[in-house]
Amino acid sequence: MVVVYTIYIFDRHCECIFYTEWNRGRSPLSAERSAAAATVGGRSDGSKEPANTAHAVDGTGTHLSGDSQRPLVWPTTANSTANRVSLESPRNIAMEEEAKLVYGVAFSTRNIINKLNSKDGPQGGNPGGFMSFATNTYRLHYYESPTGVKFILTTDIAAVSMQPVLEMIYRNIYVEYVVKNPLFNVDPHTSSPIENDYFRAVLNNYIREISSTTTVA
Amino acid sequence: MEKQYKAIGEEAWKNNAEKINAELFIFTYGSLVVQLVKDYENYSAVNKQLDKMGYNIGVRMVDDMMARTSLERCTGFSATAEVIAKVGFKLFLNVIPTVANWSADAKEFSLILDDNPLNDFCELPPKAVADGLRYSNVLCGVIRGALEMMQMQTEVEYVRDVLCGDDVSEIRVKLLRMLDEEVPASDD
Repeated sequence: MVVVYTIYIFDRHCECIFYTEWNRGRSPLSAERSAAAATVGGRSDGSKEPANTAHAVDGTGTHLSGDSQRPLVWPTTANSTANRVSLESPRNIAMEEEAKLVYGVAFSTRNIINKLNSKDGPQGGNPGGFMSFATNTYRLHYYESPTGVKFILTTDIAAVSMQPVLEMIYRNIYVEYVVKNPLFNVDPHTSSPIENDYFRAVLNNYIREISSTTTVA
Repeated sequence: MEKQYKAIGEEAWKNNAEKINAELFIFTYGSLVVQLVKDYENYSAVNKQLDKMGYNIGVRMVDDMMARTSLERCTGFSATAEVIAKVGFKLFLNVIPTVANWSADAKEFSLILDDNPLNDFCELPPKAVADGLRYSNVLCGVIRGALEMMQMQTEVEYVRDVLCGDDVSEIRVKLLRMLDEEVPASDD
């Protein structure tokens, strides 16, 4: 039984191209969702709403019926069909800051590990084999694809190795639904967020699957 | 080591690759080139366009290859050459070019293609040969794009082509420099 909290995906340009959360109490994303819901619903105490009730009241009020199983994702743009926070809030500064900090932590940790192994170099990569670190409330897992895409997963502390899971996400979900999607980012020199609903759905199902089974590969 | 890459390529090709009809693929590619020739009316522009298309394919294809195999990042450029030939070409085209003609500083090598499936059923008109159309130039772009994703900036070009009357096809790969990993922009 693994409890997965969040996934961050960073591209080669250090940009967070995908973030999603499950079972996370309060976050910049759910706070924004609650605030948006409150504004639309005319309530002022929306920021205190827990994330899961905020789900039911979508900012746009147009969809999401029967959709409450769907986790929050970020970044989102107005033309995405799912999980719109609201039409006029494309930026979430708190979330951007958080993503930057997470990247910074993972990147620096990986670098110091490479350095201590005397395997550091300007090309980066993860030759030192940084896999995870734990605090007393969560564990952060790290996987870097050979092409430099970084996957960061936070779980409860009991989940010791999520490397096979992250590898599976890269090989069978990221490559299948993002890299092979002709609509995704034709220019490799710029970043663009993952806006693919299939990717979200498959990832969500996979995480639910590993959360509900007792054995972790 | 060389054996090992060969085995990885075989394995990936056998187990993890979806196969499509080769003739369908060859004819699709052929009509693509024909269309480009019609659109651009200039063979060097066609070469350029093919290279660009290849580049865009290559930057994605490398992820696909990595996902199908359990390769790590290569330790040196000679390993890279082996992987391109024995895993990359094997996996996507089911041919294994020979790696040859290393330059003295080990930054340039050639891929000798005895058999290029893209060339099958293809005959170039004399004018295209004279004006230097590189029919399979897309391959150069693919290699360049894929290597760029692995932090290697390269220059890749066709030096000999069977379709232009040479006895073998030769692709020359030249390592220009290793790219540094990007670091996050500082906040202040």
